[in-house]
Amino acid sequence: MVSEFLSYGFVQKGLLAGSLVAASCAILGVFLVLKRLSLIGDGMSHVCLTGVAVALLTSTSPVYMSVPVVLLSSLGIMKLTQKFRIYGDAAIGIISAAGISVGLVITALAGGFNTDLLSYLFGSILTVSWTEGILCAVLLSVILLLLFAFYRDLVSSCFDEPFAKTRGIAVSTVNTILVMITSVAVVLAFKVVGIFLISALLIIPPVSALLVSRTFKQVLWKSVCFGVTSVWGGIFISFVLDIPSGAAIILVNLCFLAGAYIYAKIGHTVENGK
Amino acid sequence: MSGVLKTENLRFAYERMPVLENIGFEVRAGDYVGIIGPNGGGKTTLLKSVLGLEKAEGKIWWFGEELKDFRAWHKIGYLAQKSPVSQSRFPICAEEVVLMGLTGRHGSGIGTGELKQVYEAMSQTNTRQYAGKIFHDLSIGQQQRVLLARALVSKPEVLILDEPSTALDATSREMFFDLLGKLNKEQGTTILLITHDTGEVGKYISKFMYIDKTLVFFGTKEEFCHSSAVAQKLGAFAQHTIDHLHNRHGHCPLGDNCEECAHHG
Repeated sequence: MVSEFLSYGFVQKGLLAGSLVAASCAILGVFLVLKRLSLIGDGMSHVCLTGVAVALLTSTSPVYMSVPVVLLSSLGIMKLTQKFRIYGDAAIGIISAAGISVGLVITALAGGFNTDLLSYLFGSILTVSWTEGILCAVLLSVILLLLFAFYRDLVSSCFDEPFAKTRGIAVSTVNTILVMITSVAVVLAFKVVGIFLISALLIIPPVSALLVSRTFKQVLWKSVCFGVTSVWGGIFISFVLDIPSGAAIILVNLCFLAGAYIYAKIGHTVENGK
Repeated sequence: MSGVLKTENLRFAYERMPVLENIGFEVRAGDYVGIIGPNGGGKTTLLKSVLGLEKAEGKIWWFGEELKDFRAWHKIGYLAQKSPVSQSRFPICAEEVVLMGLTGRHGSGIGTGELKQVYEAMSQTNTRQYAGKIFHDLSIGQQQRVLLARALVSKPEVLILDEPSTALDATSREMFFDLLGKLNKEQGTTILLITHDTGEVGKYISKFMYIDKTLVFFGTKEEFCHSSAVAQKLGAFAQHTIDHLHNRHGHCPLGDNCEECAHHG
């Protein structure tokens, strides 16, 4: 069955693009979770709805249309928190609500929901194109490049922002770049898991990894392992059981989270018993 | 002695409510400045402003260079009031935390020279035994000592400390202030320290700065204790501080020349 599963071209494309997006989200998610910005993915994914609705209305590519919309919204979130001193979660809530409202209005003007829109809401990984696969590869390469080049700056600004500033690290630039790259990752991820579930791909793998890691580097690679394995497991389960791939990927992720929690609990008990 | 930190007409307001007004002073190399004043008087905001963590109006110079152009951050060590990790378990060990105090390197590699500096700083603060431990698993007092090592690792010329001893037990506190005193005396490290415990650090401090939105007083310990203008201006607080300086250790920190002691017999 496995060889049959792997023999389909659309499955191969889905696995490749899904793995690349999952790895990107897993790395970005570690920084977002530790900076308490994890819900930014949720806000951006809701803004995707506006991009997708505009694309469907104008018969353009939802991915290309959503990138500028989500990028602008992410910058809006940053400005609301920095300039207007609004709490981060409140700013995300405002932009998120605006994204859904505008998306729904445009959808209604365009004649209501259709199957295309539903496939973006719930994900349709098996319709990923090679171009989108290449974009996912470029995104992951950029993330890895920045990670290797600015590892210390990133970790330091996550751990203690004020102190990082006193070391000459441009923390607000780091945050802006992080949020902008996350915007692109969110847009590329909505075909994999759907608009409703993108934030799970950004949050659950890092949280699982944080439970079972002792160092920052461990968190990063374990988060990537959880994210990528969940894509493979989720697509395989969706193929076998004929269920939506996005939901299957997130359910596998939740199983990893439960496993990590039990492992951490046992480890903690053993440590205390020594 | 050369100027280390200078401010001119420094002002800061939260939501149009003034926190700092017209603050101007100059700290010279080797000064050990105790920053005192009432809660909400702007002491922490002042330190954050001179470090660029709060955007204050006015002029700030570090080592003769304006703050916006200043890049030699390795010359400054900073220890904040609160530990950065409160609830969540940040996956990082103590030696990695200390490593963050070094500037100029961005990648993930650690050089042997850097590790040597990290261990030296940890030995200074008696935290070498925690090097491999997860920072979050340490007690608040141990975390604070590790953070002091982070402030010291770049061998700074200036140390800025915001109520650093609140989480420390009596022994650690004594060791902490002895170390600061030693750094100031032997290595000439300039220290700016926000404190409410004037008695304990009084024997080390060379100057007092009293902040209550404005700069009420900045001068030597002797001037502070003997200035009738200060006593008049600061009233009960000044008397309390002077009493604290005199009584805490059972001896006068000003030595035999203290008029207060002579006056009180």
